[in-house]
Amino acid sequence: MAIDTQTLKSLELFSELDSEELERTAKLIHPMRVMEGEVLALRREPAQMFYMIMKGNFMVSFKEGKAFTLHQRGDIMGWSTIVTPFRYTGTIVALTDGEVLAINGDEFKVLIQGDASIGEKIMNRINPIIAERVPYFSREAREARKELLEA
Amino acid sequence: MTGMEAISAHNGWAISAIGVTIVFTGLTVLSLTISQLHKVLAFMERKKSDSQKRAEGAKEIDVSDIIIPGDMKETAREYKMIIDRMDAPFSLPRLLELSEKCGLNRPYSNLNDLIGSGLIEPDGEGYYRWKGPDNP
Repeated sequence: MAIDTQTLKSLELFSELDSEELERTAKLIHPMRVMEGEVLALRREPAQMFYMIMKGNFMVSFKEGKAFTLHQRGDIMGWSTIVTPFRYTGTIVALTDGEVLAINGDEFKVLIQGDASIGEKIMNRINPIIAERVPYFSREAREARKELLEA
Repeated sequence: MTGMEAISAHNGWAISAIGVTIVFTGLTVLSLTISQLHKVLAFMERKKSDSQKRAEGAKEIDVSDIIIPGDMKETAREYKMIIDRMDAPFSLPRLLELSEKCGLNRPYSNLNDLIGSGLIEPDGEGYYRWKGPDNP
């Protein structure tokens, strides 16, 4: 089931996209129901799916027992799908039943890399989120991410 | 001399009684040993798992003596009991793991409720602190 462009526009990540860009993006997005305790991603595993929260509460946990929780509509998870080395840095688990919008990582990469305008608008939104979450990673990963962000 | 007379003359009854007692005592000891075998195996398993966890660097927290009564409805109280056994600030995934180990009902959503109600708060470094009353 495809998602409508108005819903996409209401999400911060896609708020800058114009109608044509939203149409293209919407084709890649799949709404997905999740259940309490469901694991959406595992740390160190290849990052295959990118998620946006529509409803529900989630926990992202890292090495050394660190974690944060996400509760807001539009919060993103699994940005490692578009950042090297394309492996999840944390484990994502649903704390409650909910709903997410899922995008296949390869298709998302093609969209961002294939259209400079879409890529810039989306990465402008994702980069501050990555920077905000950097302190949760291990030192090695933090340094690697820092180099990537500065590059 | 034959029959009962011979048995009595050569302490046959006493020997029989001793024989029966020895056999029964042996069987009793054997059955008791077998009935307690699971404790020995559990001890060995625990020892093995302890050494594995030590090797992985994880700190073991004993929650085996925490009894969560079925009629205890105060989620906060249940979680506080576990949090008290952990270092402060504590790890949220570890709390989740321990609450599952204790057999708490719906640990994921309960944890979310505790965070939502402000009883558990992030410390900004990736760990969490109990912010509720000491005796919820």
